Amino acid sequence: MEKILSVKNLTKKFKRIVVNNISFDVEKGNVYGLLGPNGSGKSTTFGMLLSTINPTSGDWYWFGKKGTDSETLKKIGAIIEQPNFYPYLSAEVNLKIVAEIKGTPFQRIDEVLSIVGLLERKKDTFKTFSLGMKQRLAIASAMLNNPEVLILDEPTNGLDPEGIIQIREIINNIAKQGITIIIASHLLDEIEKICSHVIVLKEGNSIYCGRVDEMTNSHGYFELKADNKTALIQTLEEIHWFSSIDSEGDTIKAHIREDASVSASTLNQKLAEKGIFLSHLVKKKLSLESQFLELVKNTN
Amino acid sequence: MTKLLKLEYYKNLNYRPFKVFTILYFAILIVFLFIGLIDFDLFGEPVNLKEQGIYNFPEIWNFTTWIVALLKIFLGLIIVFSICQEFSDRMFKQNTIDGLSRKEFIGSKLLTISIFTIVSTVVVFAITMFLGYRYSNTTESAKVFEEIFFVGNYFLKLFTFFCFLMFLSILLRKSIFVFLAFFVFWIGESILSGIEVFTKIRGLQGAQRNEVLQNDFFISHLLPLESMSNLIPNPMARLNMAKMMGIKYEFHYPTESLIACLVWCSIFIFGSYWILKKRDW
Repeated sequence: MEKILSVKNLTKKFKRIVVNNISFDVEKGNVYGLLGPNGSGKSTTFGMLLSTINPTSGDWYWFGKKGTDSETLKKIGAIIEQPNFYPYLSAEVNLKIVAEIKGTPFQRIDEVLSIVGLLERKKDTFKTFSLGMKQRLAIASAMLNNPEVLILDEPTNGLDPEGIIQIREIINNIAKQGITIIIASHLLDEIEKICSHVIVLKEGNSIYCGRVDEMTNSHGYFELKADNKTALIQTLEEIHWFSSIDSEGDTIKAHIREDASVSASTLNQKLAEKGIFLSHLVKKKLSLESQFLELVKNTN
Repeated sequence: MTKLLKLEYYKNLNYRPFKVFTILYFAILIVFLFIGLIDFDLFGEPVNLKEQGIYNFPEIWNFTTWIVALLKIFLGLIIVFSICQEFSDRMFKQNTIDGLSRKEFIGSKLLTISIFTIVSTVVVFAITMFLGYRYSNTTESAKVFEEIFFVGNYFLKLFTFFCFLMFLSILLRKSIFVFLAFFVFWIGESILSGIEVFTKIRGLQGAQRNEVLQNDFFISHLLPLESMSNLIPNPMARLNMAKMMGIKYEFHYPTESLIACLVWCSIFIFGSYWILKKRDW
């Protein structure tokens, strides 16, 4: 796979270390989630990769070229933290400024405005826009130069559910065009819906970089119910397929062992043979949230 | 170049303070140039500056450039507002991310400064020529062009002043801090030069004192605001009134101030660039 971005031992120290020696690679055509709680160094990392923050040490390569210069930035579309535009200028003039900087022809402006559904508002000044519209204008601006990579820092921050859905749809459509996307968020269910790969940051360290489903070794778990709960627990323990068996009220949660592979039907068959008949059986995968928590817990 | 020009055009065209102060500036500038045509009262006596000879060649260059330079603060306000606005709306950061380099950013602001300075200089030059040919006692070309260097000094004075304000704006990023810093700087410079003058002439009398004031080299004359103001000396001693009172007008071309201004300009420009480069945005 072609590498779009390769980060090596990047460190930033303000008064304390904010980004600590992180390394990761971004491959072409994937959607990456940069995960981490608030203050884990996501925005600082983006700042360095976009040349607004000077790194303390470390290197990175965009498209195989060291560092970030103006030419590189013209191949990148980025939205950071909040939509930044001249409040007293119309959407159109704001995008003209961006187009002028990036050297994009002005006819692209109407195209990107219609992608994000703001074409009718192009003559209105930026300050009259709602937050959702501002955020969509920011995406339009980032898309202006047909970027090879799109960087989005908390694109759904502060939006209402409808706004979040709109942004998610726009991002999904962009992803379908084969544009590499790196998206930072602390909203894990958001990332889970969009991303194929994740980079996990914790207190400035990168603790994982890879496919979402390979983040932990977990094969998922079963939710089970039976009339005779004690017998069920006892039998589950006997068959040794599970690493842990928790009971939450009536429901039993059985986590599949890392070295085992069990389908719902095999388990059902096995339990029936042992004379236990289930009233409820669901196989579930760990949510990104629990995987993330597990990963963060494991690296403590 | 055209790219930077277009950027500044889009950014400033619809920016209200920009429009208001630009119109205000040029309106007041033109009014000020024609100030000699009106009579006004000074200590109960009617004074007419035209009668006092302010429109005579070659003094007219000194008078008009000096009077009009008082107005530079209006253009200064525009420059401070439009640069500080880039930081308060986080647009510098956004421009950088969109691919505008630090050099281009400084370049675009210098371009605005240059355009203002050039337009202002050309207006002053044209109106002075007009007034001179119309009201001067003499229009022989030797007299007309004798002190025309004041126009060049005027250009440099404005340019240095605006570079100074650009530097303060990039350093402090909030217009209110820029104005505060500017006044503190102004007062600080006055105090410094006051101290220097005082120590040099302490114990000296009359002619000796004037000798020192006229011919000694003052380090404080090299400070930015002081060197700017020395480029165009106060012309009041050249009024007919003053001549009648026997005040002697002596003028040495302020070469050291000229050099100081050029040096300050480059310090302010490179200083601005350095700040943009070194700071985390």
